[in-house]
Amino acid sequence: MQNDERPNPNVRDEDDVLLVERVLAGDRRAFEPLVRKHERRVFRVALAVLGNIEDAEEAMQETFIKAFRHLDHFRKEALFTTWLTRIAINEAIQKRRARKNVVPLTEVDVATEQFTPKRYESWKSNPEQLYGKQEIHRMVESAIQSLPEIYREAFVLRDLEELSAAEAAEALGITVPPVKSRLLRARLMLRESLAEKFEEPATLRTKFVHTAVDAGTAVAMRLMRAAGM
Amino acid sequence: MKTMDCKDVLANLSCYVDGDGSVELRAALEKHISRCRRCRVVFDTTGRMLKIVTDTAPFEVPLSVSARLYARLEKVLSEP
Repeated sequence: MQNDERPNPNVRDEDDVLLVERVLAGDRRAFEPLVRKHERRVFRVALAVLGNIEDAEEAMQETFIKAFRHLDHFRKEALFTTWLTRIAINEAIQKRRARKNVVPLTEVDVATEQFTPKRYESWKSNPEQLYGKQEIHRMVESAIQSLPEIYREAFVLRDLEELSAAEAAEALGITVPPVKSRLLRARLMLRESLAEKFEEPATLRTKFVHTAVDAGTAVAMRLMRAAGM
Repeated sequence: MKTMDCKDVLANLSCYVDGDGSVELRAALEKHISRCRRCRVVFDTTGRMLKIVTDTAPFEVPLSVSARLYARLEKVLSEP
């Protein structure tokens, strides 16, 4: 089997269903294009849950083997991609539970307390052009990987894999409100960590001006005048 | 809709970024960020962060990982 074709996001789910029907009718090779198309998504969700490539690789293999062996359980009222994503998340979550020396995940949602941004400088106009493609790639991946797992999962499912809040909730076995609060927090945390690289360096003057604007007080304005600005 | 403070506004950031929420909510958010520099920066840079991240398309399957997947599947598909 060759991996020379990138998954085509324009291939519709009807095509998946046709392939599934072919496999079920005995044409096992029809499973290959399904793998090619969904390999990346399965890998990304497994990586989001598990946080390292080795475990994600195993979970991905188990996912496709399980999907192949249980293809007759696939009900066509669901999208194939949703069905497969659920298998992938279940595999990954089981693997995470089985991992030794791991701090057990609490089932409570820890995102109830609001995250307060700390960086308020605006960003350079095209920050992504300041760095090479590979460097941006590395920065983005490491920022996502550094998120605590519950935020990382929510972010990857919603913003990278574009699952709806309801689909992500179902896949993770939680309700919609924590998906939303985790996603918000993940976004704010990622913004914060990339801001370090992308924001305009604050000069002393802009700091003063911003302090004045943010406080909106005559005091800050007087401070600026006193500092000769 | 009552005037929103920065905390309320931040709690609704996703609605704004995703283009969801009622017309009233969006108007209240717009009104706040037109006046509040800090919230404006957070809203603007969150949108830009999302664009950068999705354009980057992170986490390709490494070629070796992919090759091992196909090798393993090959065995499963060839099982009698």
